[in-house]
Amino acid sequence: MPFTEALRLAVATIFASKLRSFFTLLGIIVSVAFLVAVVAVIQGMNAYVRENLTGAIIGTNAFQVRRIPISLGLLSDEEIRELSKRPIVSRADAEAVERALPDAEAVALQSGYPTPVSDVVYGNQSVGGVLIFGVTPPYLTVQDYQIAAGVPITEIDLRGRRPNVVIGWDIADKLFRTPESAIGEKVRIARREFTVIGVVASKGTTLGQSFDGFVLIPLPMFEGIWGRRGTTTVSVKMRTPQELPGAMARAEEAMRLAHRLGPREDNDFTVDKADALVAFWTSLTALLFTVVPAVVCIGIVVGGIVIMNIMLMSVSERTREIGIRKAIGARRSDIRKQFLVETVILSCLGGIQGVLAGWGLAVAVATFTPLPARVSTWSVGIALLLGVASGLIFGVYPAARASRLDPITALRSE
Amino acid sequence: MTDQAIIRLAGITREYLMGGERIRALAGIDLEIGRNEYVAIMGPSGSGKSTMMNVLGCLDTPSSGQYWLNGHEVSRMADDDLARIRNREIGFVFQTFNLLPRASALSNVELPLVYAGTGARERRSRAEEALARVGLAERMHHRPNELSGGQRQRVAIARALVNRPSILLADEPTGNLDSATSVEIMRVFGELHAEGQTVVLVTHEPDIAEHAHRVVVLRDGRIDTDRRVEHPVGAASAVA
Repeated sequence: MPFTEALRLAVATIFASKLRSFFTLLGIIVSVAFLVAVVAVIQGMNAYVRENLTGAIIGTNAFQVRRIPISLGLLSDEEIRELSKRPIVSRADAEAVERALPDAEAVALQSGYPTPVSDVVYGNQSVGGVLIFGVTPPYLTVQDYQIAAGVPITEIDLRGRRPNVVIGWDIADKLFRTPESAIGEKVRIARREFTVIGVVASKGTTLGQSFDGFVLIPLPMFEGIWGRRGTTTVSVKMRTPQELPGAMARAEEAMRLAHRLGPREDNDFTVDKADALVAFWTSLTALLFTVVPAVVCIGIVVGGIVIMNIMLMSVSERTREIGIRKAIGARRSDIRKQFLVETVILSCLGGIQGVLAGWGLAVAVATFTPLPARVSTWSVGIALLLGVASGLIFGVYPAARASRLDPITALRSE
Repeated sequence: MTDQAIIRLAGITREYLMGGERIRALAGIDLEIGRNEYVAIMGPSGSGKSTMMNVLGCLDTPSSGQYWLNGHEVSRMADDDLARIRNREIGFVFQTFNLLPRASALSNVELPLVYAGTGARERRSRAEEALARVGLAERMHHRPNELSGGQRQRVAIARALVNRPSILLADEPTGNLDSATSVEIMRVFGELHAEGQTVVLVTHEPDIAEHAHRVVVLRDGRIDTDRRVEHPVGAASAVA
């Protein structure tokens, strides 16, 4: 039997019982849709992190001198124990880095993880869940913060230990009528009174997450209230991305000198740029990319077994047809081809429907949730390939069974 | 063996194991059927009639003995070669028609040509020709369930003829038909024989067998009688 004939026959048989074909394929459809949708969401988040998040958290053209690297979550216990022996990054370190980088746009010192969360109270109103950062004045430059009203924190606030704060847009928006009206007002944070001297312009939302719900407090004051953080970080902003590698090398050298490290000693600090965050995220998603295919493979195998069962049922239902075909001259290979092509076409259809469903799901996610989604061609390719492969693998047994039927017995069956 | 013999059976036996018991369905058959003969094979149930039909139709292989069909020794053939013989040399007509229910009359008739590897265009024209030959030119796009019993059997005959087989093998072809339709179908066989087709008919109905020109009666897996029919039914009308 020519291949085109087998193809035509398969399509006719499948479409003769559409509902049954659909239910046969449900496992494959769901697995493939899951693969396409999840990969789309992960890919979308990857792109989003690369394009939006890294700039928002570290700042553009910026790098950090940290005690603990950003990718902490992926380190072994051994490595973490090693890291905990490192000294805390100090004010003196920040000054050493600043001296080594006279061309830097800004060098700031900021309180690190864990960032305290507090209520900000104004009169009888309050805003909860506000992130409190202890910073030095250049921090605003590093973060590209624009002052919408009032003035930024200054060196005078720092040295004079003045209880002055700069608030994020969301806080001003919730507590005051206008940003301007916030200036000079007294707010209470952690049962202490502070004067609002400035409001930072909104940076908008990233991943549905606002980055404007913060209060900036002069670092010495912050440390007086919440204590010194073990992860105090030096942030450096350069003017162009080209300057970053050289600047990072000089900062490293300055830090080694400040910490009096011998030539054979390892760094007891880490110099990271935004790439480190991307790398951290990428390694996280790499983990997801190993888990998702495993889940999908299980789904495909289960779906394939369902297809195999239905095809075995179909073979026994069509025993007489097989008998007729054999009686008028079908060879074993003809019958085998007929059923194998049918199974492969069936599972291909499952793959296509799955891709469409997954695509729809990804679009729905992108539309109705803040999660971005990007359908990638390779996931569609893999999904279709899995569909065809499952058809080939799980179609072999039913097809072989059909081809081995004895024509006399087959013709006698009802 | 004369060169006119299209079927030659020599010492054919066929044994089955059924529930541990050896059953001898055919116990040594010697038979020659010449080109353009019209033979009816008869016998009571259990006489080996069906086994004979299966062996003749190359659906079954004999336990021993030799079977030549149109010069091929089919008794030694493997599965795929037998399939080719069934496709090229034998046209089957069954009691229950055995048409594919979801395919049109035309598609059913085309089927043997599909397995013969004939091209689509030639397939179609030959199938149309065969359907016209049995008087169904008007109904070729109908499905079997839209046709009467007699029409279905005509479709089956067209399918059997379409690949120009050396023998037409009919197993109780009128068993599911009323007597008027039976006469009609037997007339078709008569006409085909008159045109030169070799016809082998398996039946247990004596009046159907009387359409043939030779009747072979089986009993207990052996040939009991083998006689010429003096005045076959319908022969005169076929000649006329």
